[in-house]
Amino acid sequence: MKRLKIKKEHYGYFFIAPFIIGFLIFGLYPVVHTLSLSFTNTTLMKMDADFIGLQNFKRLFADKTFLTAVTNTWELWLMNFIPQMAIAMLLAVWFTSTRLKIKGGGIWRMLFYLPNLMMPAAIAALFFSLFSFYGPVNQFLVRNDLQAEAIDYIRSPATMRGLVVFIQWWLWYGQTTIILMAAMTSISVSLYEAALMDGASGWQSFRFVTLPLIKPVMIYVLVTSLVGGMQMYDIPYLLTDGRGSPANSILTSNILMYMRFRSSQGHIGAASAVGVMVFIMTTIVAMLIFFLLREKKTKSEIKA
Amino acid sequence: MKANYTINTTLLRILIYVILVILLFVTLIPVWMLIVNATRSTLQIQQGISMIPSTHIVENYKILLSKGLDLPRGTLNSLVLAGSITLVTIYFSFLTAYGIVAYEFKGKKFIYNSILVLVMIPMQLSIIGFYHYMVKLGLDDNYLSLILPSIASAGAVFFAKQYLESVVISDLIDAGRIDGASELGIFHRIMVPLAAPGMFTLAIFTFVSAWNNFFTPYVLITTRDKYTLPMLVQTLRGDVYRHEYGAIYLGLAASVVPIIIIYFLFSRYIVGGISMGAVKE
Repeated sequence: MKRLKIKKEHYGYFFIAPFIIGFLIFGLYPVVHTLSLSFTNTTLMKMDADFIGLQNFKRLFADKTFLTAVTNTWELWLMNFIPQMAIAMLLAVWFTSTRLKIKGGGIWRMLFYLPNLMMPAAIAALFFSLFSFYGPVNQFLVRNDLQAEAIDYIRSPATMRGLVVFIQWWLWYGQTTIILMAAMTSISVSLYEAALMDGASGWQSFRFVTLPLIKPVMIYVLVTSLVGGMQMYDIPYLLTDGRGSPANSILTSNILMYMRFRSSQGHIGAASAVGVMVFIMTTIVAMLIFFLLREKKTKSEIKA
Repeated sequence: MKANYTINTTLLRILIYVILVILLFVTLIPVWMLIVNATRSTLQIQQGISMIPSTHIVENYKILLSKGLDLPRGTLNSLVLAGSITLVTIYFSFLTAYGIVAYEFKGKKFIYNSILVLVMIPMQLSIIGFYHYMVKLGLDDNYLSLILPSIASAGAVFFAKQYLESVVISDLIDAGRIDGASELGIFHRIMVPLAAPGMFTLAIFTFVSAWNNFFTPYVLITTRDKYTLPMLVQTLRGDVYRHEYGAIYLGLAASVVPIIIIYFLFSRYIVGGISMGAVKE
């Protein structure tokens, strides 16, 4: 019986083989290929091209647009992530509090999560339409004398940035709430009872019991949100003209990459360079956060 | 002291309910407006905001058709594509996860840790190299280029492994072996039925994210007949539809409503699924 089992262990390799092969072909190779393209002047017109060393990267760093795009991406992500985490934390504490006994926790949570499933492309197009010059928002504000005349919101950098941040927040706060709630409910009640016995206030038991115990989950949310945020595309692309207008205010690095790719010549080499830089930056930051902040037991806690 | 505490709690509770209701409005109004406006004529939409559905849905649909937006085609494309991606993802992620959970082999820990790290890597940023490579293989403008990469989706394997750890019982595997089943046979006939609820949860997430995915198809697919719904949504922004608000909203609603229906049918699985593996594409 025992021997039978030992003999079969190598079957594990057969089971994971499709994944490994699929990853090498469709995951790893494209990354390597993108990297090698970034050292060439390949365009969509002529597929084979010359090796030009670091030229693409030099041009990229000399180009102010790239810096703008990277800064925008970080700002747009941070401006949505901080309130997202704060509100999700507040909601999760309220819903799990035994003192407050908020009714219908499951239904609230279910409805708050709904936006996360909405197609970002459709939502961006919706907001474009709502905020257009003759759109419902202008109508409402003008008719109720909240605004003297219609404002061209689509051309206002501050409004468009605000909208991108709002839509991203709107899409994700519900999911973050659910994850934080799951982490909080997995904490043993006896820990809170012990804290209460020691005379801890509500804030203290949150600060010294809840927070340290949900830290691994918070790191998980932070890292996945960062990785997603650095690839932000659909919403800023479809909210205005697909070029990060007005005045490059919502130009993200992915939009810049796409613009290089679909420029009149189709500069694949230059577009790859954008992808490579953002890839390296994101991966380093994500890994740093993950390995610096995590504690030893992270993996078993994420499960909870 | 005690009374004070109760009053404070009651006040706090009222405040919380007020905030929750406001939040609920902010959350649902955009979606509701989208659906309502899809049923209103352009004239009605221009006359003012309403939260009550109207009757012009067919009219709006005719305008969409007359402008050349093939909504049924786009829906079918999205269904076929998202459906195939879902099947491939589910099968291969559970296959991989089963290999990791059920067998003890050398290098297993390393592979699993690598998969965990992969979840944190922005693979989408290699899209340009991926596109160039697909052109060389002759797979650009082909759904296969969007389906095949799902064989290796790290996030899905992570989820599948969490799930399988709670359902795989080694006694069942041994029993299968004694009955003379092959290893793959054990996976197909014993494990797949056991893991069905987990597979279903993962299927919903995968389907929704494939349905909503805009960027990858937008880069890879060029023929108009192969456009998926998000790509059609993108064309709604064009000049052809200028001021045809009713039709635009209908086009947007058509891509959002199927997902809302799925959600209300299966929200239990979905909410439970996020808590379990927190899959986020």
